[in-house]
Amino acid sequence: MTTPVPPDSRPPLVRLRDVHLSFGATEVLKGVDLDVRSGEALSIIGPSGSGKSTILRCINGLIAPQRGEIHVAGTALHQLTREADRLALRKRIGFVFQQFNLFPHLSVLENIAIAPVRILGHPRDEVERHARDLLDRVRLSGKERAYPGELSGGQQQRVAIARALAMRPELVLFDEVTSALDPETVGEVLAVIRDLIRDGLTSVLVTHEMRFAEEISDVVVFTEGGRIVAQGPPDAIFHTNDNPRVTAFITGLGNREPANTGTEGRAR
Amino acid sequence: MADPLLLDLVKTAKSYGINVGFLTSPHERDIWLEGFRTTLTLVATMIPVSLAAGMALAAALTARQRWLALPARVFVELTRNTPTLVQLSCAFLGLNMLISQSLGGAGQNPFGAFFWVVLVVGLHGAAYHAEALRAGIEAVPDTTLEAARALGFNRLEILRWVELPLALRIALPTIVNNLVTLVKLTTVGSAVAVGEITYASIMIWTQRDNVVELMVVILVFFSAINLVVSQIGLWLERRLAVPGLGVRS
Repeated sequence: MTTPVPPDSRPPLVRLRDVHLSFGATEVLKGVDLDVRSGEALSIIGPSGSGKSTILRCINGLIAPQRGEIHVAGTALHQLTREADRLALRKRIGFVFQQFNLFPHLSVLENIAIAPVRILGHPRDEVERHARDLLDRVRLSGKERAYPGELSGGQQQRVAIARALAMRPELVLFDEVTSALDPETVGEVLAVIRDLIRDGLTSVLVTHEMRFAEEISDVVVFTEGGRIVAQGPPDAIFHTNDNPRVTAFITGLGNREPANTGTEGRAR
Repeated sequence: MADPLLLDLVKTAKSYGINVGFLTSPHERDIWLEGFRTTLTLVATMIPVSLAAGMALAAALTARQRWLALPARVFVELTRNTPTLVQLSCAFLGLNMLISQSLGGAGQNPFGAFFWVVLVVGLHGAAYHAEALRAGIEAVPDTTLEAARALGFNRLEILRWVELPLALRIALPTIVNNLVTLVKLTTVGSAVAVGEITYASIMIWTQRDNVVELMVVILVFFSAINLVVSQIGLWLERRLAVPGLGVRS
């Protein structure tokens, strides 16, 4: 685990201030403030529909909030009006999806290489060398020529991680990346992410894997009803927090024995 | 003057009641052979024209900009819903005449009947290709598009690297179907005196009583072309087949 840096020692890589977002009449985010520093791993936990995935999509500009400020890597995202500027920022931010979303018509190697070659215009041989290194890193050497349809869910997700890393991102967003996997393959994906974070990858993870979040995070954020209800170091959230709602959520997931007598835990 | 072997052939055929006497006339023989060449040239130019225009039309049909999507939709509807023969007449007798006039005489007009046949029939095929491709483009899941956008693909890059390759695989059987129809539609060229094989045959059989003989040749000729087209289509389908995608896996 990385040592948390002292607060305000350098400007955060991601900074959200008072972010409000609605889909039609449904208010999804009701004033979110969030800081992610370089080299830090931040986990977002909380019940379904609390706006976790929407926060990730605001950070890479896939969704534009109606109100609030978003600064990412020195760019004021909320002030960008041209799609081209948002695209330029997205190239610097990796995104890994719950359902992998690989390109089904491309081989594993092509899935990883297509964006650096076609979008960044990098030389193919150099990109392919990098892609093979990444495949090695996600423990899928030898699968270069396979198609997504021939891989298990866990393997596809690791290809998706390599695809995001191929752009050499400054930040990677993980959106419930193990939720679509069977219990046996969850471990292999988490092991890969754990290694990346140990190596200093800046990341924001939306996850329901409480143990994992506790183990790898520098900061854990609990969201509910479009607001950040609690945040702090993992120990503070998982063990010493005095917010009954957070405790109920964590214990309801069966992660550990209740720290205090929370009985209204959510069954999943 | 005529090849003795050819004379023999014509004589033998005649003994079986088959009239191919026109082969001994160099003039008629040239018209006939030129007919084969012209049909093949029409097919060879029309197929790429229809495919390129079809992809452009499909892109326009699925564009988010109304100024692109609306004209494309109007064009597709007009082209599909009116007889090709009438479109060709309008283009060749109407539009072409206007161009000739504005350029100061038919001699100045760079466009001939062949051009108009390729353009009108090619775009007719394109309208059908576009609809087939549109179905394929709309079948690409939103999640796949979101992944491309997250990687920094712009609208055109998504179309080129994600939507069209996937749409092509879905639409290929329909596109081959369209191409088979397109090959047969080259015969409307005869209406504006493009000397393709039906036009050439008509020229010959109005002078000689050999309609059946030349008809049979035309039928065999088009069957052969379309056999090649559909075989190439099947080969492409197999080539592009991807494990876990589509029916064949």
